Amino acid sequence: MTKVPNLSSQTTSLRSIKFDSSGPPCREEHFTHVYLLLKKRLPFIVMAASCRKVWEMRGACRRFFSVSGFLNCKDGQPAKFKPPPKPVIIDETKPLAAERRFLSPEFIPPRERTHPFKFYLERRDMIQRRKVLNIPEFYVGSILSVTTADPYASGKRSTFVGLCIQRSGKGLGATFILRNIIEGQGVEVCFELYSPLVQEIKLLKLEKRLDDNLMYLRDALPEYSTVDVNMMPVPIPADEVPVNKMKVKMKPRPWSKHWEHPKFNIQGINFDFFLTDEDKKKVEEWSMPWREFDMMIEYDTSKIEKEIWEEVNAELKK
Amino acid sequence: MPGVGLLCRLGSRLLTGGRHVPALVAAETGVGNRGLWRVIARHIVDNATWWDEHLSEENCKFLKNLTTEEFKAQTASKLCPLKDEPWPLHHWEPGSKRIGVVALKLGMMPLWTKAGERLPVTMLRVQDCHVLKYIPKEECDGKNPFIIVGGKNVSPFHKSPSQLELYRAIGIPPKQKMTTFKVSDNAIIKPGTPLYAAHFRPGQYVDITAKTIGKGFQGVMKRWGFKGQPATHGQTKTHRRPGAISNTKVARVFKGKKMPGQMGNRFRTVRGLKVWRVSVKHNIIYVNGTVPGHTNCLVKVTDSNLRAYRDYSKNLPFPTYFADGEEELADELYDEEVFQFTEPSIAYT
Repeated sequence: MTKVPNLSSQTTSLRSIKFDSSGPPCREEHFTHVYLLLKKRLPFIVMAASCRKVWEMRGACRRFFSVSGFLNCKDGQPAKFKPPPKPVIIDETKPLAAERRFLSPEFIPPRERTHPFKFYLERRDMIQRRKVLNIPEFYVGSILSVTTADPYASGKRSTFVGLCIQRSGKGLGATFILRNIIEGQGVEVCFELYSPLVQEIKLLKLEKRLDDNLMYLRDALPEYSTVDVNMMPVPIPADEVPVNKMKVKMKPRPWSKHWEHPKFNIQGINFDFFLTDEDKKKVEEWSMPWREFDMMIEYDTSKIEKEIWEEVNAELKK
Repeated sequence: MPGVGLLCRLGSRLLTGGRHVPALVAAETGVGNRGLWRVIARHIVDNATWWDEHLSEENCKFLKNLTTEEFKAQTASKLCPLKDEPWPLHHWEPGSKRIGVVALKLGMMPLWTKAGERLPVTMLRVQDCHVLKYIPKEECDGKNPFIIVGGKNVSPFHKSPSQLELYRAIGIPPKQKMTTFKVSDNAIIKPGTPLYAAHFRPGQYVDITAKTIGKGFQGVMKRWGFKGQPATHGQTKTHRRPGAISNTKVARVFKGKKMPGQMGNRFRTVRGLKVWRVSVKHNIIYVNGTVPGHTNCLVKVTDSNLRAYRDYSKNLPFPTYFADGEEELADELYDEEVFQFTEPSIAYT
């Protein structure tokens, strides 16, 4: 009891513990007391469950555990040891996937002299469309499966599974490109995000890469853009979006573009393997060290993003 | 000579400061007795001041607030112009020509048809559009009466007094753009009437006039799409030139020969653009395709004058759409072919 008051300030960082369905019914909030006492000794909880003394210290807690399993049987014979239910730890401090604050990039207006009212009007239509079609949160590097209406396909529908290598466009005209290797042939399909022909967008794997544009996968070895067509969806992580820090192996040069140019600022290729010393000299010539000090290039969208997110979220919940 | 201007400026300062100085100044500057006054007067006229240059910050704020409130009151009072002595309304007849509106070009966005086809669409916002003046046909060309329409309120501080007189007479805030529309006798509207986007309806065709984006003095390749000459194979100083402009037998250059010159920054009209959607609530017209002019420029929108669409205005509000009229409209009007975003996705069967 003495520990409780000084711990009350840490209730915000509390974790709640949920048991498997096989375990006795319990409500997570009742456990806060227990955990307050046993703070920072998480394995101790499991140990405590098997030790009756600890539970008698706080009698109120006993009703949440069925202790009968740990006591002696009617005969007085020691009962067979039953392992206590395994606690599942859920961190409440981190938001769930659904509660993650995410604004699709096409909502952010470009830096132009266009009247903001124009973007508001587009947003209105985008929200209407999002109410009909569920567009999941995804990034460049995520794996998606998109089903579209296609008059020439059998069943009048076609599905494409691929890796998102680019997101472009603002407002209603936003697009994304999926890339996959099908029968040894690289295929890229550009989908319009708000086109009424899109039937379903399914997120198979939520992931980010080191770069915002993966166009260099065209010049990479095919295994880096190959995705299994019959891939099963990977469960979406609850907390932060994982970043895949993979470095890609490229085909021998020449490439379709000089990916080593500093303007692309590509992190996903280890250029040491592909560039000679002469090439590296050239890259140094291309470097523009003054750009990081150029204040005109900066476009701070954090404020606009916040406003738009609130607006969009309020509209979507209606 | 540049020294003279400087001295004159000094002279003007002194002159405005006190009346007893001029003799001295004239002696000093040495411009002579050849009308030092004239020079100074011209200088003062050229050197226009900001309207708030001699105002304190509070006064400036006060004036700004006052004008905005005044504008609001004026537009509000004009919302129901029919209530005081409305002009008689006539019905549509073959050959009638309605008024148009002045609209602001907002930008472009896509729309989709119900067949899944993508339509590039320009958004035009009808903002503070009012009828300013009616000119009877006796005073203009003798065939049609003219109606002047203005769009988008602007600050009165940058308008000339003569222009402000016109606005004050009607009781309407000053407008950025004024245009003239030729209308038929039965389509005249009382000055002060506000015009709305619902004047146009989805499915109809419009003509749009605006000043194109200026490209400056351009060569023949950019201006007219000439092919130019090859880069190599012995070309000397001939890569982007027009080539021959006539022949020896004609011995002259035909009129209208395509040559280098000013490109853009002139009024152009695109005809027969279809209206796909009209937002009654926000006063937006969604017009098919591209429209001349840069974003945020003011364009003139009229019913299409093309022969095929001339009689289309039969089913349109005549002479215009009145906000306080009997007609009740939905917030958004769509053409039959246009996909509405509340509908489910298109599936082919």
